[in-house]
Amino acid sequence: MAYPYRHERETRVLTEAFGDPAARSIEGWKKYGGYEALRKALGMAPNDVIEVVKASGLRGRGGAGFPTGVKWSFMPKDDSRQPHYLLINADESEPGAFKDRELLRWTPHQVIEGALIGAHAIRAKHVYIYMRGEFFEPAQIVGRAIEEAYEAGFAGADIMGSGISIDVTLHLGAGAYICGEETGLMNSLEGRRGQPRVKPPFPAVMGAFSRPTTINNVETVATVPHILRRGAEWYRSMGTEKSPGTKLFNVSGHVVRRGNFELPLGFPLKDLIYDVCGGIRDGRELKAVIPGGSSVPILAASECDINLDYESVAAAGSMLGTASVIVMDDRTDIVKAVRRMVEFYSHESCGQCTPCREGTEWTAKIMRRIEAGEGTMEDLDTLLEIGRNMTGTTICVLSDSCAAPVASSIAKFRDEYMARIRREVPAGALTV
Amino acid sequence: MAEQKTELKGGNDGWAGERGDFAHLSEADVRGTSYVGVRPLEGRAAGGACSYPYQLAEKHPEAPLFEGPYRERLEKIKSRYPDAQGALLPTLNLAQEIHGWLSPADMDRVAEELGLSPVYVRGVATFYTMYNKAPVGTWLVQVCTNVCCNICGADEVMQAFLEHTGTEPGEISDDGLFTCIPAECLGACGFPTVVQVNERYFENVTPEDVPAILERLRREAPKQER
Repeated sequence: MAYPYRHERETRVLTEAFGDPAARSIEGWKKYGGYEALRKALGMAPNDVIEVVKASGLRGRGGAGFPTGVKWSFMPKDDSRQPHYLLINADESEPGAFKDRELLRWTPHQVIEGALIGAHAIRAKHVYIYMRGEFFEPAQIVGRAIEEAYEAGFAGADIMGSGISIDVTLHLGAGAYICGEETGLMNSLEGRRGQPRVKPPFPAVMGAFSRPTTINNVETVATVPHILRRGAEWYRSMGTEKSPGTKLFNVSGHVVRRGNFELPLGFPLKDLIYDVCGGIRDGRELKAVIPGGSSVPILAASECDINLDYESVAAAGSMLGTASVIVMDDRTDIVKAVRRMVEFYSHESCGQCTPCREGTEWTAKIMRRIEAGEGTMEDLDTLLEIGRNMTGTTICVLSDSCAAPVASSIAKFRDEYMARIRREVPAGALTV
Repeated sequence: MAEQKTELKGGNDGWAGERGDFAHLSEADVRGTSYVGVRPLEGRAAGGACSYPYQLAEKHPEAPLFEGPYRERLEKIKSRYPDAQGALLPTLNLAQEIHGWLSPADMDRVAEELGLSPVYVRGVATFYTMYNKAPVGTWLVQVCTNVCCNICGADEVMQAFLEHTGTEPGEISDDGLFTCIPAECLGACGFPTVVQVNERYFENVTPEDVPAILERLRREAPKQER
């Protein structure tokens, strides 16, 4: 029962209340079992909460797939010397990703409850939900939910009479993709430019406001209450051994039914496209898929016989990322699509590191030249050479993310680039 | 380009076209407006004090910043951060909420309020795209042209907004109502083309939908321009 379509093969955990406006309120959310997990967690020692989440195998849903319980265990066990912070990354801005917006606007209390449990586990006294500035509508919903949580005694001082106090603050960004990178996010929260920081020091040692900090994605913390309530074993009964649980697959592009679908990890990509999403629009053929948001390598149609878990997608030469599946039909102009992605990275480069600031800009210029039919054969080599210099050479991976679709599309759709360079319109491509 | 019509497409009725199995829900249900309710200017509990839209149709470009209920909200905002600098983004948001854009004088006023240097505040404010460094129309129309919307026809939607408002990107239309700009990914990729108008998203927008959306916005514009 995800949004805006349902499918019988879904496993509804996080998305059960999607489409039920009553579930937004605290009373409505309790009918879905809301805040039972928080009560249970507050009765447990922080380390025990971490152990349950570790045992569940939950992996971070922001893209990297790092085990959440392990991340939490990096935090100092002593909070008496300096305050700890939990930051919820609600800066969803990876092109292709639109799952957190649905979680925030349909189930704000699910996110808040998970955040409070996480804060207890890492002994944080303050949670900041960093939401991208464009999400005004989800922000007003979450803001109202935070107010309700305070009124009900589920946030603030002495939560549920446990003696544990945790504040929750919503913080809105102001339009910068790079603030979704965890150290850029911390800088932005502190009232700085959202430029990523060099690691180490890692956030668990010195994060927001120079204090020990953990950053978790919205979907990650939204999963935590269900694990606390139903147990690690139950969670492991879904998905694969190394990628347990369910995941929101946010599918965009040329499928019949676009939207969010909650499925166990390891679900076949072809079943997602042809069964759950109803196949390609207008009876067209599949050309390419970007399986994890615009930052990951593109897969040609012939490479799509894979399962959607972290390991399988990596084995196919791409990444599951945010499970944001961008589907392209046979009319898609690959050169134009890649050019548009590259322009995005060029626009969003924070400008700190030379390979990124210069590399994204030059890549965009060359891509525009090729698209306009003014490219040369040497341009393809130049693009690949620039891309190599942009990979692994910068503070964060924005630069790498720009290089990945360029390199993978040149490798897999070289004929389309060649057609542009030879000033032939590629067969089947959109003409603009 | 060829239209991407399928039998499932219901046509955009002014805010969202493809609501699939949830077509029975009203616009208010999906937007959550009744749950949110009226947000008092002074803010409710402090944790949600930053949850206000800072791109509003009604603007008061001459109003003093941070007085009356806005002062009350600003104090609530400041109380949520360990230092004044932490409150910089929400304070800029509040200034833009009141004036509709951030003039150099507004940035200086924010710097004074938080005890930061003016040059520091300018440096931060100019980093972020959502701070309007020039006045905008009553409605700021931002059309996502990034990849997921783009492969579904976003460039044509952007073009339609410019044609029907008679503007170039970033200009204010002659009637003062519209400023249209292309935007990077708005995080609603399953609903192409996504268009953000002030605080609201309009989804599954096609070029043909544009006149009706503009008509709706003309209707909803605040009666008295200040």
